Amino acid sequence: MSSTATETAAAGSIEASKIYGDGETEIRALDEVTVSFEQSRFTAIMGPSGSGKSTLMHCLAGLDRLSSGRVFIGDTYLDDLSESQLTELRRDKIGFVFQAFNLIPTLSALENITLPMDLAGRKPDKQWMDTVIDTVGLRPRLDHRPSELSGGQQQRVAVARALASQPQIVFADEPTGNLDSRSGTDLLDFMRHAVSDLGQTIVMVTHDPSAAAHSDRVIFLADGKIRDEMIEPTADRVLDLMKQLGD
Amino acid sequence: MFRVALKDILARKRRLVTTGLAIILGIAFLTGTQVLSGVLKESIESLIGTSYQGIDAVIRSPEEQDLGFGQKIRSPIPEALVAQVDEVSGVRKALGVVETTSAQLVGTNGKIVGSNFGPPTLVYNWLNDPLLQVGKLTEGRIPTETTEMVLDFTSAKDAGYKVGDQVTVSSQKGSEKFNLVGLMGLGKDGTLAGGAKMMFFTTPTAQRLAQLPAQFNYIAVAAQEGTSQEVLASSLATALPDAQVVTGEKFTRENQKSVSKFVDILTTFVSVFGYVALFVACFIIYNTFSILVAQRTRETALLRAIGAKRKQVLLAIVLEAVLVGLVASVLGLVGGVALASVLKAFVGTLFTVQSGLPTLTSRAIATAFIVGIGVTVLSGLVPAWRSTKVPPIAALSDVAVDRSSVSRSRIIWGTLFLVGGTTLLGLGLADAGPNPLVLFGLGAVLFLVSVAVILGPLIAAPFSRFLVWPFTRGTAITPRLAGENAARNPRRTAATAAALTIGVTLVTLIAVMASSIKASVESTVNSTISADFVINSSTFSIGTGIPTTAVVEARAVPGVALASPVRFAPFRLTDSYSQQQAAAKPAKEQQSLLGAGDAAPPGEDTFMLGVEPKSYFEINDVGTTAGSPKDLLPGTFAAELKEAEKRGWKLGDKVPVYFAKTGVQELELAMTFDQNSGGGSYLLPLATFEANVLALFNTDFVVYIKTEPGADLAQVRKQLDAIVADSPAISVQDLGEYADAQTAPFDTFLAVVYGLLGLAVIIALIGIANTLSLSVLERTRELGLLRAVGMSRKQLRHTVIGESMIIAVFGTAIGLTIGIIFSFALSVVISADSPGIFKYTLPVNQLVIITLVAALAGVLAALAPAWRASRLDVLKAVSSV
Repeated sequence: MSSTATETAAAGSIEASKIYGDGETEIRALDEVTVSFEQSRFTAIMGPSGSGKSTLMHCLAGLDRLSSGRVFIGDTYLDDLSESQLTELRRDKIGFVFQAFNLIPTLSALENITLPMDLAGRKPDKQWMDTVIDTVGLRPRLDHRPSELSGGQQQRVAVARALASQPQIVFADEPTGNLDSRSGTDLLDFMRHAVSDLGQTIVMVTHDPSAAAHSDRVIFLADGKIRDEMIEPTADRVLDLMKQLGD
Repeated sequence: MFRVALKDILARKRRLVTTGLAIILGIAFLTGTQVLSGVLKESIESLIGTSYQGIDAVIRSPEEQDLGFGQKIRSPIPEALVAQVDEVSGVRKALGVVETTSAQLVGTNGKIVGSNFGPPTLVYNWLNDPLLQVGKLTEGRIPTETTEMVLDFTSAKDAGYKVGDQVTVSSQKGSEKFNLVGLMGLGKDGTLAGGAKMMFFTTPTAQRLAQLPAQFNYIAVAAQEGTSQEVLASSLATALPDAQVVTGEKFTRENQKSVSKFVDILTTFVSVFGYVALFVACFIIYNTFSILVAQRTRETALLRAIGAKRKQVLLAIVLEAVLVGLVASVLGLVGGVALASVLKAFVGTLFTVQSGLPTLTSRAIATAFIVGIGVTVLSGLVPAWRSTKVPPIAALSDVAVDRSSVSRSRIIWGTLFLVGGTTLLGLGLADAGPNPLVLFGLGAVLFLVSVAVILGPLIAAPFSRFLVWPFTRGTAITPRLAGENAARNPRRTAATAAALTIGVTLVTLIAVMASSIKASVESTVNSTISADFVINSSTFSIGTGIPTTAVVEARAVPGVALASPVRFAPFRLTDSYSQQQAAAKPAKEQQSLLGAGDAAPPGEDTFMLGVEPKSYFEINDVGTTAGSPKDLLPGTFAAELKEAEKRGWKLGDKVPVYFAKTGVQELELAMTFDQNSGGGSYLLPLATFEANVLALFNTDFVVYIKTEPGADLAQVRKQLDAIVADSPAISVQDLGEYADAQTAPFDTFLAVVYGLLGLAVIIALIGIANTLSLSVLERTRELGLLRAVGMSRKQLRHTVIGESMIIAVFGTAIGLTIGIIFSFALSVVISADSPGIFKYTLPVNQLVIITLVAALAGVLAALAPAWRASRLDVLKAVSSV
């Protein structure tokens, strides 16, 4: 196995394939994808709908299983894990930010942030919590329920939750998809800050070039295969590349 | 719109089933009991019909005494009358019949066969005429010697006897052995079982066991060929002007009626629980429809947006309710027949029931449909109405889930209902209006609805949070989530819990009343009876009391200071007050009797105790008295002051009373007492008692024993035991055992009531499961999120189970509270009626057990939804945007 990949990467996949259906109706959502995500980097995964970008993320995050190949988080291969081991891995090693409905409506913002640690029965690291909360800038709203927060605030709480347990990696699935551009930019700045200043690792699925521009590296997926990648992206360059790939 | 409703239902088949299940169970229970009661009545009537088929006329005494419960007892007629009857023209054969309950069958295990609550044990003389004798011999021969007997084959089997064995029979003369020479059964060929235990002896033996010296209970007459029953009866009536003559047909009908009446009482009693279950089902239907309507807000709004009118939206939901009710009624009917079949098989072990499947009567079908559909539609109306208020714009906004608020109108309506319910309850308890029971019932329903449904949501949220509060210290998130989930839809939680509340209220009410009655009996026994031992009989059958020799033998036991016998008999008060009371009641249907009509003058039937004045009042504390035990001479009696005042009697007054044996007698009131120590309100000195009651009642039903100071109690008891050793029904008890024995029959009754209430509780649990399933469905995305961020399946299951337990405990807590309030109200009324006797006692242990069982039931109800929740596809859940 490519041991070098596991040493430097926070997560990655090796010849990962995901096939839905069989025979005539077979769809290859992922086609032998080998990729790794370095630590303390902000990586964006882009591609048109049906390109497999969400499938890749779900498999990397232990929410879905591969048809063949392997995925790993740190030095753990997910394919060997049982359902409950996967759950624990998600709880302890992975942070999640979804497009919407990220929060449990019955819990306060603070409770939502500490949820994964509460589920594990662990006490949050006080200092780190303070850092995260201050970075998110939500201290005055910690006792509020999600329904009392704006969409942007809700997503920031979600990012805070994803970071709170100091996971190995954070997966964000279109985190700005439901936000207006201003809140979206705020959120992306905050994620950028978490990577650059707090040393976190974030993988974000998006189809928005300007969102991808906040990342260190963009991976382009189409038809279940990696087509290209770009270091230090800008919105314009991403847009150009996407146009090319679309042709 | 009809198509939309239909499609909605078809798309949610499983939900339809769970929603309907509550109704199905209720309807099945109702039709099941109704159908079974029909089958039972038919079977019993045909059994009785064939049994008495050969009897063309019956001659009996016009003197009868009402025992209550539709049971009557008649004076016997002299043996000599049989010969007279034989002379009458048209008579082929006339035979005297002994038919009493004065002896018990003792099994090979030494125990009495049958219970006080089952069919009776009867003593007969074998009639030497194939038409007049009930049933047929199936084995052996008829009894010809005084030491021989015949048993019905079921009892022989139950008791463990076969032909040739020595059978033990216990009567008030003690135990005797008889040779079992034959077996019999009912029906043309003797193959049918009748339920009752039937013992046949030679006439002299039967007369001796029945204490009918040279007497019979009635004379059965067979007509000559060509003489009709009517002609026979009228010639008999002319020949015997002092006797009462009824045709065989009418005699059969009388017997059928008395059994059917009992089956009817039983059916009504059991049906009440069916209606309770349906009442509970109402809440579940209401709740399910509320949730469905809320979850369908978007769909409804879309329909409205594309032009559906309010009325159409309403109609669609009502239609859905009608369909659910219809399907549930049909399935309920099927279930009812199935239930009746199972019960029938069970009853069939007691006596022969008609073969074949129980058939549905049109009445049962009509009841099922009217009740089933009615209940469903009524319960669905409020949610349906609410759904019409969805503005079309809601289609465009986020899915609105069922969020209930603590509105002001809720508080106002809740308070109004509560006040109304309490008022009606009070009126009912105060015996106001023409039908206090209806007032009480209506009040109870209003009270329940106000507390459980209207005000429930106000407390559901704080209660839920309070309940989990002790478990949420530190980082425990599962209980916290469970609590919040229960608190997020207070209306839903309250309505779901309400179903359980009803069952728990009734269980609590009954448990508290039962424990109070037990405590009252115990305290009354302990405080008013100063006996050391009590000789007591465990059977209630008339004529099977304690041998009158026992008290004589007990007095001879060294160390016994007093042995006081107490007897029991029915009689009728015929003073002017009682006659007015009787006249105020609806007149009984006039029977077409030939010869002498029923001899009893109008009055009130009650019972009296026959006591030995000098010892009875030594042992029983009857409170303050006027007059003295010494005044209780022959021809006098004592009455409770309350009764004497009500009837306007003063000491020295002559009060007319009626006895079946001696007719109307004037008894002088010689004493009053103000404390009825759980015994009778009327006490007759034994001399008066013996002179006036039928021989059957001249047996002690209890004998109080007081020892001399310093007597060796163990030794006395041993010797008393020896006196009653050969009568398995009779035992020597100390006061504690005696008090327990007094309340023991009560425990059986309680077990039955709890069992029947179990149905309501099961339906309530289905309701909890239903609500949880819908909630889980509604929270799919949220549950997916929890799983994604690391909640284990087990934690998720625990969250759902926790929510269920909260709902269950909430419902139970309200039920306990209301039950305690109701029982307290009742106890106040009872105490006002008879002060100082009723002891309000909370059975704390039992109430704790009820709560624990409810919590456990909550776990049970949550198993399926929790399992389903934990099996959610995380990916689907989080990506279902």
